[in-house]
Order: sequence, then structure tokens, then C-alpha cells
Amino acid sequence: MQPPGSTKARPLATHKELSDFLAEVERRAYKQALFAVRDNHAALDVVQDAMLKLTEKYSARPPTELPLLFQRILQNTIRDHFRRQKVRSMWTMPVSSLLGGDPEGDADPLETLEVADDSKFSEPPAEQAARAQVLAFIEKALEKLPARQRQAFLLRYWEELDVTAAAKIMGCSEGSVKTHCSRASHALAVMLTKQGIKL
Amino acid sequence: MNHPEHELAKKLVQYLDYGVDHLEPGVREQLAAARRTALSHYREKPASVLGLAWAGQAAHWLTEHRHYSARLLIAATALVLATAGVVYWQNTGPANGLGDIDLYLLTDELPVNAYLDKGFDSWLKRSSR
Repeated sequence: MQPPGSTKARPLATHKELSDFLAEVERRAYKQALFAVRDNHAALDVVQDAMLKLTEKYSARPPTELPLLFQRILQNTIRDHFRRQKVRSMWTMPVSSLLGGDPEGDADPLETLEVADDSKFSEPPAEQAARAQVLAFIEKALEKLPARQRQAFLLRYWEELDVTAAAKIMGCSEGSVKTHCSRASHALAVMLTKQGIKL
Repeated sequence: MNHPEHELAKKLVQYLDYGVDHLEPGVREQLAAARRTALSHYREKPASVLGLAWAGQAAHWLTEHRHYSARLLIAATALVLATAGVVYWQNTGPANGLGDIDLYLLTDELPVNAYLDKGFDSWLKRSSR
């Protein structure tokens, strides 16, 4: 029994535990960041920043707390990226408007993706190609979702967090998380059906 | 729960997992490098936690020794006020004023008000003796 007033000892994340955890989540984190920021280099920067913050500030936390902490840090880092981008665009927008906008800016990226007529997988190479095509479509569809819907969908279903944890990370109510998830699923289903993709 | 929404999500996630498993080697290497960089900053006891621990210890001590804390606070406040007073005195005290008067005397630019001051007259007589 511990003496009164002493701090309760907690099993802290060791270097190996932290390394294993980061190795497990880094690729999904990269994809999450990529869906949000839509730039390979920026997504890598976001993930690196999030990993650094976790290691520098929260390595003294028990390993069980790492997934929630990391997701919170990652989402905040993505938000910071957009804040910085907004400030930057305040200066660059007037210049770019003078030079003329991007003529392809209004193009729908989903329209440029070709989906195979036969989505059923028969042979391994064909299966691979078809799967890659559907995956590319799904990823583009996720990019097109509103940020909050995408966030809720990925946290709940990809990161397998419960509604309470997702709500904590997103800073909203559990009801909002459910609503965002439902809307995201519906929107994705509509986009897939529109392209004739049946999963 | 076999809700159609969950079923769709499950299938989508399978594709997303496939995508993550087949990430380009270049990206995988960059992520591994980023992980190594992050882990090089790993410390057994992070600095912020140490700071918090110190603050916690201090707060704990103050609550434990509540009868001391009021006296300690008064003493600390008095010390801070005294230090501030010394600094203020050094910057704006009469020493600087005397220095200015000396300078005015040397340069013969003493203000008229000085001659009207009775104390100055007597000081001048004493110093000339």
C-alpha cells in the first residue's frame, strides 16, 4: 500500500512501446493527413510534427493513453496547418487574383477517375488493378467529404475509436459524432453508386 | 450490430487498409525517418512533466504547511516590494538630482528657481567658507 500523499505510480510508455505504437499508426495517420491537406509533403510534415509532439510532451503517459492522445495531437496539427495556410493565403490571394486564377480549379477530381466496368476480381493482377482503382476512388471521395464528416468517419471506423473518444478528439457531442458518421457514410454510398461501384 | 452504414464502413475500411499496406516505398521510408527523428527526442521523464511535478510538490507543501504559507507570502511580497523600491530609488532618486545641479553649476546654467531657494543660498555661503 502506498503512503498517503504520494503520487500513484503509473506504467509509463517505454521507448520500444512508443516506437511500436508510432510504427503501427504512422501510415494511417499519413493517409488521414493526406485526405485533409491533399498534399504529400504537407501530410508528411503534419505526421512528423504530431509524432514529435507526442514523444516530447507525452511520453510519460501510459501506453494505453497513446492512441487517444496521438489522434488528438494529429487533428490539432492538421487544424494548425489550415490556420497557417489561411494566414499565408491572406497575403498571396491578392497577388494570385491579379495574375488570374487556376482554370482547372472548379474541375471535379472524381470525374477524372476511370472506374473499371467489371469490379469483380477474377485473377490476381486484374484484381489488384481493380482494387487499386476502387481505392483511388474511395480516397478521392473521402477528400471530397466535409472535414468534420471525414474526421468522424475515420476516427470511428478506421481508428476504431468509440463515440465518446471520437467526441473528445473532435471537441463536440457524441450526438454530433453519430450525425457526422451517418452523413459521411450516406455521402460515400451516393458517390460510389453514382460511379457504378458496388463493394 | 449489422446496420447497413456499418457494413459499408467496414468494406471501405478494408480498402483503406489495403491502401496503407501498399503505400509507396518512398513514403514509407519518409515516415520511418520521421518516426526515428521523433523518437530521438524521447526522454524517460519529459521536461514539462518535471516542471509540473515541481509545481505539484510546491503546491502540496503549501497546503500541508498552511500556517506557514501566509507568513511566507507576506515575506515574499515584502522582498519583492523592497527590491522594486531600491530599483526605483536608483533610477529616480535625489542622487540624480544632485548630479544635475552639480552639472548646472559647472556650466553656469543654474535655473533661476535655484537662486530663489533659501536653502541654496545658505548652502552656497557654507560651501564658499
